[in-house]
Amino acid sequence: MHEVFEHTADVGLRIRQNSFAELLAEAGVALFELMVENLETVKPTLLHHIQITQVEKDILLFDWLNELLYLSDAQQWLLCRFDVTIVADTLNATVYGEPRDETKHQLDHEVKAITYHQLKVEQLSDGQWLAEVILDI
Amino acid sequence: MAKESYKGPLERVDDTCWRIPRSYRPDMLVDGLIFADDQLIDQIRADTAPEQVANVATLPGIQSASLAMPDIHWGYGFCIGGVCATDPLDGGVISPGGVGYDINCGVRLVRTGLDYDTLRPRLRTLVDTLFNNVPAGVGRTGKYSFTRAELRTLMNEGPRYLLKRGLATASDIDYTEAEGRLDGAEPGFVSDRALDRGAQQCGTLGSGNHFMEVQVVDQIHDAHAAQTMGLFESQVVVMIHSGSRGLGYQVCDDALAALRGVPEKYGIQLPDRQLACAPVHSPEGQKYLGAMRAAANFAWCNRQLLMWQAREAFAEVLGKTWEELRMSLVYDVAHNIAKLEDHQVGKVNKKVWVHRKGATRAFPPGHPEVPSMYRQIGQPVIIPGDMGRASWVLVGQPGSMEKSFGTTCHGAGRCMSRTAAVKHAQGRRIDKELEARGVIARARSWKGLAEEQPDAYKDVDLVVEVVHKAGISRKVARLRPIGVIKG
Repeated sequence: MHEVFEHTADVGLRIRQNSFAELLAEAGVALFELMVENLETVKPTLLHHIQITQVEKDILLFDWLNELLYLSDAQQWLLCRFDVTIVADTLNATVYGEPRDETKHQLDHEVKAITYHQLKVEQLSDGQWLAEVILDI
Repeated sequence: MAKESYKGPLERVDDTCWRIPRSYRPDMLVDGLIFADDQLIDQIRADTAPEQVANVATLPGIQSASLAMPDIHWGYGFCIGGVCATDPLDGGVISPGGVGYDINCGVRLVRTGLDYDTLRPRLRTLVDTLFNNVPAGVGRTGKYSFTRAELRTLMNEGPRYLLKRGLATASDIDYTEAEGRLDGAEPGFVSDRALDRGAQQCGTLGSGNHFMEVQVVDQIHDAHAAQTMGLFESQVVVMIHSGSRGLGYQVCDDALAALRGVPEKYGIQLPDRQLACAPVHSPEGQKYLGAMRAAANFAWCNRQLLMWQAREAFAEVLGKTWEELRMSLVYDVAHNIAKLEDHQVGKVNKKVWVHRKGATRAFPPGHPEVPSMYRQIGQPVIIPGDMGRASWVLVGQPGSMEKSFGTTCHGAGRCMSRTAAVKHAQGRRIDKELEARGVIARARSWKGLAEEQPDAYKDVDLVVEVVHKAGISRKVARLRPIGVIKG
């Protein structure tokens, strides 16, 4: 589950999931929902592997979202599915999507950057994982 | 998230200036000074931007005061509207957060020989043509494509490189701040990832608050300065607001990553990690500066190519060449940048690094960096407002050198979050409302238009009034939007 929260000039994402790996996958969905109004029209026709090693969980979330943003900007891909596994401090992911096509994708926000401001990843007392991240729009 | 407000001290200095005294916090090295009147200061207290002014006052080597303009609002680390000058000989630092993600975001104003009544019958066609021809919105790629080698040359030379490709004139370069080129750019310090993000984006508008507007000069406040800039009442002008696109964002992002742990290495204690910085003369500081200058030069090329496309659209719709339409650049000025400048601090002349984050250089008459055509009136300052009300042309005044390191405001400043603005727009057609006010607006996304609606911004007239009264810049002309292109 994820939601957008209010933050002065920009946009915050709050994500809650049962595991850290699911949290990261959901963060990917949340990022691309900001970029595409109709994310359901993005088909998983291409795939790409990502590996990131990072001890600090909040920085891992930051680096992961940054990688997705880079793929979107540099490759002009829109991503719709994120299969994430975490082993020790290493994220392994396969992401799926397709090249941006304005004839069918209704594009929304351009995300300039993922920021460190109030960046948060924590495991709650009920075992769920919570993340908050603010994006520069 | 509940909106926090500033609870610390704000002492009135005079009608247009408020002080956060150095005594507020033991880590402050200088006072904070905020330019505002009674009305704006109440809005400014409503978020934590003044606390960010105090945070910046802790940076090593900061001179005189941590400053903020009346369009101040919350930003990452530094507030938007913030100005900070550091002395490298006094342990001064350079901070990517003091420039912002969008390095050399800025504005350019293009005059035309047209008056409003002449354009009016063709305005809708013109706005549609601009919207179709000028790439805007999420990751839209441009019609100009550059190889890596060409990008590196472009980042080294700025718009002079475009002159060689027939996409700029000598006059365009003369009327661009710093002639569109910061010396000391190190394109080799710009990462491959930044090049990948920027390769297709030179000549694209982007989204967020970036825009291209067709405007009309609706008030002249200083006839001599307006005439010197070739501006007259009812004249059609074009304003372009954009920056260094994905390339600049990535340069900032790379710098923030590279600076993880660096402040600690140099014994710098920071109240907020988004203030990450390095001593100017350190290898880390020099690396950022080389890349930042390269991204700044890229941004000037971006705005040059956007202007070129606007000229082509006008020519297509009006059936005359852009030269016949007399579409000359009035001025291009950055509002997210750091520059080494000569300033008097106390009674001492110093070379300081002036960080302007959402603040505009406003050099007074006679300053050697003002183009000779404008040297008698002062440097033109272009202030974008919102898409329903107004924008402004100002000129720098002597007070800017005395009070604000040669700086003035940069815009209206947001007063409503994006999510609040979208809620505020529920059930409304912002484009229709704008049309009722005489503005034809075209945007890629309804939400984008809702987020940027006029109500989301402070009244730019109030902001400009403060900097005018403070004597840091002077009103020349008020511009009213008639056509808006948004991402």
